[in-house]
Amino acid sequence: MRKVWQSDWFGPFAITLLAIVIVGVANPSFLSPFNIQILLLAISVNAMIAFSQMIIIAIGQMNLSVGAIGGLAAISFGGMMEVWGIPWPIAAILALMIGLLAGIANGAFVAFTGISAFVITLASLSVFKGINLGITEAQPFYKVPETVKALGNETFLHPLPWLVIPAVLVAVLLWYMLFRLPLGRNILAVGGNTHAAELSGISVPQIVTVAHAISGFLAALAGIMLVGRLQLGQPTIGDDWLILSFAAPVIGGAILTGGKVSVAGTFLGVAIVAIITQVLVLFNIDPFLVQVVLGGLILWAVGMNRWREVRAERQAVAAGT
Amino acid sequence: MSETAFTAKNITKTFPGVTALEDVALTLQHGSIHALLGENGAGKSTLIKVMTGVYRPDSGAMVLAGEPFEPHNTRDAIAKGIGVVHQERNLIPRFSIAENIFLEELSPHPLRHIDYPKLYRDARRWLEMLDIDAQPATPVDQLSVAKMQLVEIAKALSLNSRILLLDEPTASLTPHETDTLFAILRRLRDEGVSLIFVSHKLEEVQEICDQVTVLRDGRNACESRPLEDLDRQSIVRLMIGRSEQIPDWSSRDRTSEALALELDDVSTKLGHENIDLKVHEGEIVGLYGLVGAGRSELAKAILGKYEITGGALKLGGEPVQIRDVADAVGRYRIGYVSEDRKSEGLVLIHSVLENVGMTVWQRLVQGIGFLGRKKIRRHTEPFIRKLDVRTPSLEQSVGNLSGGNQQKVSVAKWLAAEVRILIVDEPSVGIDIKTKAYLHQLIRDLSNNGTALILITSDMPEMIALADRIVVMNDYRLKGEITNTRVYKDMSERIMELIQDETSPMSGARSAE
Repeated sequence: MRKVWQSDWFGPFAITLLAIVIVGVANPSFLSPFNIQILLLAISVNAMIAFSQMIIIAIGQMNLSVGAIGGLAAISFGGMMEVWGIPWPIAAILALMIGLLAGIANGAFVAFTGISAFVITLASLSVFKGINLGITEAQPFYKVPETVKALGNETFLHPLPWLVIPAVLVAVLLWYMLFRLPLGRNILAVGGNTHAAELSGISVPQIVTVAHAISGFLAALAGIMLVGRLQLGQPTIGDDWLILSFAAPVIGGAILTGGKVSVAGTFLGVAIVAIITQVLVLFNIDPFLVQVVLGGLILWAVGMNRWREVRAERQAVAAGT
Repeated sequence: MSETAFTAKNITKTFPGVTALEDVALTLQHGSIHALLGENGAGKSTLIKVMTGVYRPDSGAMVLAGEPFEPHNTRDAIAKGIGVVHQERNLIPRFSIAENIFLEELSPHPLRHIDYPKLYRDARRWLEMLDIDAQPATPVDQLSVAKMQLVEIAKALSLNSRILLLDEPTASLTPHETDTLFAILRRLRDEGVSLIFVSHKLEEVQEICDQVTVLRDGRNACESRPLEDLDRQSIVRLMIGRSEQIPDWSSRDRTSEALALELDDVSTKLGHENIDLKVHEGEIVGLYGLVGAGRSELAKAILGKYEITGGALKLGGEPVQIRDVADAVGRYRIGYVSEDRKSEGLVLIHSVLENVGMTVWQRLVQGIGFLGRKKIRRHTEPFIRKLDVRTPSLEQSVGNLSGGNQQKVSVAKWLAAEVRILIVDEPSVGIDIKTKAYLHQLIRDLSNNGTALILITSDMPEMIALADRIVVMNDYRLKGEITNTRVYKDMSERIMELIQDETSPMSGARSAE
């Protein structure tokens, strides 16, 4: 019981539950099937964005180009369907490959130049965004097939939208990889202590590249899902992902220096952000407040992590070491 | 005589401008513990790096278990059977003990499920073998330093290491933990493991090692000699080319001088109680105790880092309230040379000049907060010269200096600050004998000039060489005070008596909390 209480996801989980109850009582329309559907749509897409950053946080780095990769994949997806008439499943796969390649490029540069990921991804953010604007000339691709629009908005089982399926699938696979597969353990080991991981025979450059590849892939997936949801290939997709991409993993208990992330925690972090956004809309509060509240949440989450650390240290001292 | 496990012959390694190793040899017998000694800069670390594949020798050959040994990199060396336990911890913090031990072989394929129950079963074998009292699933960051070290040994052994290289393994262990470690090392030796033991503590080397190789200026001062033929003095002579200089200082009594610092029945938030301590001007008061006795913590409480909850802290006879460390340094001129110079004493990537100047910036600002570079230089350079810091230039970043020179810089910093009271915490950890003698002279000179000093050290010879009075601390309480007669045998016995006095019931009470 004590263990559950102390786990990373418990805090976010309690807050999510509390928020749902309070808001549900205050405004019953919050729990209407339609509203739940809208909420789940936002959570599904945002979870991919958060996971894309989380995997990089796991190795103790940052990926500033998450949004740029997502945007590039989104307009590629839209463009391939509209300009070349490529069937949507193939266009989706190709767009995912673009994200994967962009991630591999990020990772390879970071791993083999030794330059920090912050700088590399800051540069690649500019490159990817530039390509995006070069292709689109800042105009959206409008011709999105009806199937894609439907998959991006409708439900397969009321009120569960189709987009929930890839989101849950990715979450489960990520959890399994990080906590049950040697690949994931190696990723966390590199984040926990790079030097020790290297001496243990883990190829650090390879792991860094793989992590960035996964990040790129997930960012592209988020971009594609968003094209379906918005029903058009917007060049601005991804522009506002950065804060959320860090906020959700941190709310979920991730440590930015690496080695510790929580899949469930990140998912709940996304849910909390989505609920807050919804609430502000439901109660007609200025949407700009969302940013303020989000900032406050990040500080709260970091504070909680710090508090837990300090307490753990104290317990270690009290135990007489 | 048993066969050899490892030999190195005619190893030469040069770097631009320096010959780090010249014609060095080492022969390691099966089932023995071999000490590798030498001052800083003698070539010890270079030899270790050659053995572990970090460097490739320019010439010479190594043989491991009868086969030529030419590691391409560290991982290759580990794979071929050289296990290394480094000075700094090399574990993945939040991973379990079992995962850390078997990190290289979690599963045959990166995408195949890890069998945790099997991992824990396998780990338990190593835990039992090394007497580690912990569950395999425990995250390593919940372990004590000593246990983490044992986990690293288990990790090295699990790779079928034929040779185990231990680099200063006791640096952060308590005497009791050291004894436990030695018992395990002896058992490993008796089971046929060959160990290379690098340490600065000669007492330990004499206690546990069978053979010794000493390096001096990149050459063998002696090669694989049985240790029983050598006494402490001859080892020291081999290391520095002369016998250890025991400073022939006379005993002093400074208790008639003015009081610089007085603690009157002080207790702290960290658990110190009834601390009564007087330090006079020009006096060196030694604070002796085992690791964990609360000495550094008391020093930091004096500096205002930890809250003083009771009693009075008086400086020059006046009770004062030190708010924080900045207050202690800036207003009250109290300095603290940290035992952990790398993380607490120095900004490694900054230059020598910036490091030394750090304590005086506040005082040197001109007009509207403009900091004159020349002024800093003028103010700090004499101290850097005085300490004979060996650096190509004052712009050199401190991280590139040797350990001894780093320590000089961290002392110079406080000289520049012109402190009235200086607390020196373990000044000679990881420092060679020559630099150590130099530091001792410096500390003595400081006190002759009127600075009041508190010396914290676990090195008994150092304590007896330097202190005027010795105060013994155990379990956050002062156990007693001795005037230093500088007769080693007599003093060490009295200190040990004070420490052991009531130790057992006290520690029993603490662990029961």
